[in-house]
Amino acid sequence: MADAVATAPAPATVPSVAGPHGGDTVIAARGLRKTYVLGGGVEVHALRGLDLDVRRGEYAAIMGPSGSGKSTLLQILGCLDLPTSGSYVLAGDEVATLDEDALSTIRNQRIGFVFQAYNLLGRATALDNVALPLLYRGLPLRERRARALEALERVGLGDRTHHRPNELSGGQKQRVAIARALATEPDILLADEPTGNLDSRTGDEILGLFDDLHQEGRTILMVTHESDVAEHCERIIRIRDGVVEASEAVAQRRRPGHAEPAPTGA
Amino acid sequence: MLLENLKTALEALFGNRLRSLLTLSGVVIGVFAVTTTISLGQIATAGITGELQAFGAQSLFVSRIFDDPTSEPFSDDDIDALSRLPIEILRQRSTNVWAVADEERVRLGLNGTTANAPQIDRTIDLDRGRFFDEGDAVRGAPVIVLSADAAEELYGGAATAVGRELVIETSGGNRSFYTVIGVKKRISGALGAFANDLSGDVPLESLYRDVPGLTRGRYDFMPITIALDRDASAIERQVRAILDRRRDPESYQIQSIEGALSLFNTITVILQALLGGIGGISLLVGGIGILNIMLVSVTERTREIGLRKALGAKPRTILQQFLIEAVVLTVIGGLAGVALSIASLWAVVAAVPFLDVFVLNPWVIALALGVSVATGVIFGVWPARRAAALSPIEALRYE
Ligand SMILES: Nc1ncnc2c1ncn2[C@@H]1O[C@H](COP(=O)(O)OP(=O)(O)O)[C@@H](O)[C@H]1O
Ligand SMILES: [Mg+2]
Repeated sequence: MADAVATAPAPATVPSVAGPHGGDTVIAARGLRKTYVLGGGVEVHALRGLDLDVRRGEYAAIMGPSGSGKSTLLQILGCLDLPTSGSYVLAGDEVATLDEDALSTIRNQRIGFVFQAYNLLGRATALDNVALPLLYRGLPLRERRARALEALERVGLGDRTHHRPNELSGGQKQRVAIARALATEPDILLADEPTGNLDSRTGDEILGLFDDLHQEGRTILMVTHESDVAEHCERIIRIRDGVVEASEAVAQRRRPGHAEPAPTGA
Repeated sequence: MLLENLKTALEALFGNRLRSLLTLSGVVIGVFAVTTTISLGQIATAGITGELQAFGAQSLFVSRIFDDPTSEPFSDDDIDALSRLPIEILRQRSTNVWAVADEERVRLGLNGTTANAPQIDRTIDLDRGRFFDEGDAVRGAPVIVLSADAAEELYGGAATAVGRELVIETSGGNRSFYTVIGVKKRISGALGAFANDLSGDVPLESLYRDVPGLTRGRYDFMPITIALDRDASAIERQVRAILDRRRDPESYQIQSIEGALSLFNTITVILQALLGGIGGISLLVGGIGILNIMLVSVTERTREIGLRKALGAKPRTILQQFLIEAVVLTVIGGLAGVALSIASLWAVVAAVPFLDVFVLNPWVIALALGVSVATGVIFGVWPARRAAALSPIEALRYE
């Protein structure tokens, strides 16, 4: 798996997606609002009635100015937080109606989330960090280790398995965080500025990896503020003041390893 | 999953040694303090009670009222009258004399007594030599059995006293030569530890012969031993009934060890309550310590809980992990506290002469362990439960 080559777009490991919003829509958000209440009762409206549909297998970038609500949106889509109001239907299930255990299962099995701030367990090695979500899936130790190692190799950290986060550079930590999101082979990958701390070469490697994952049929949503990174995706969703301002297809998708945009499609 | 969680919990404990050690020491101190204070109370009670019982729970001490000149000494007739009861009465006269050894001159309490005194008076226990026998008693042999303190003062120790000569000098100037045939042991434990007992026992006949002015058959005290299978208070009533018919009921008094025991019991109940109170306070302090560390640790770890939830841990799994951590910590700490407590109590029992019974009430251990485990679990799991109820993002943002 270390050198996953683009093969069939939808391998058997990816569960099929079906729901009332149509066989093709995996994420359907309507009127999402998120209001944070600060200490003094001051309200911050991070999302103000946001609508968004994402097709299954889509590879999209979310762009927007700082503070526009990108991270907030991604966290809600990742079932890490609940919207203040609005509807979020994930693969046919209205998230607001799901209980804690169902949400845990979704976080563990369907969604891989790459945090902007990595959020690694400081006292655990890279390998154990990556294996952690597999623990909650109930896999035996041997298999957890094997899968975690595979994921680390995939992000180019096969030689750093026994390093702790404080022994890794920012870019390496970011890659451990990505490996952790990949280890569970989720069908949806949500990444908050995954190349933000990487040099351009490592960033390119990660984008190549995302491209492979996309080819495998996974749905990828990536927050970024770099337009050349966003141009690797099929679509750019522009957010401003907590609503989707624009959604545009990328005419000329960039390909990892190529400085110039390559022509799209077959 | 449980096994995995146990491993995760142990990893967390080892991963954060300082926090684990702090919690552990809180539990150890709490459990140690409670177990030790309460047990110490019980050991002291058992020690004092055992002491008094060894001294003779089944004995009465009848004496005339010394302040009252009309209170007559007891007579052989009194003793004969009491003899039909299932008791043994020691005929004993005492007086003060001077005892002179090679270099030393010591004021000595001289007891004239009978050869069966060691059987009746349980405090008589020979260290060296022998007690005088029936033959010595009948002949009025000039032999003396010294107390340990007297042997020490006169000859510098029991070992050098036996076989030596002792001069007994009365206030009238009479001098008689005695041979030391035995030395008694010091009265064991609390009652004997602090008293300086300078006395010697001689046959009654010898006392009457060598100390002029003592009338035969008159006794100031009647030490009475009651057979162990008899009801001491019933016997005391019978003794009183017999003596009341023979003399003024106000002219004598009866002391029983039972009376002393009940006084001591009151004291030890107070002592126990006191130590129990201190134990309770230490338990509270220990509990607050555990609580505090647990609360701090959970607050510190709310972010970790958020991360685990974000990766798909169910709240139940997280609580299980914290529960295992708390139980492992408090049980290990609790057992260490109990072990430490047992060691200290042993040391105390070994070091203090009158504490010779090692008491460790299982209820005390159960209480100490129970309370510390309960505080650990409640205050380890309850805040973790709160943290696990937050959304992963809220928990991850927790400051
Ligand atoms: N936990 C929070 N509490 C209060 N305000 C928040 C919180 N998280 C985000 N915000 C606010 O919500 C807005 C959107 O934040 P965010 O989604 O992080 O934006 P972006 O990722 O696009 O920079 C910002 O104004 C931010 O300050
Ligand atoms: Mg952000």
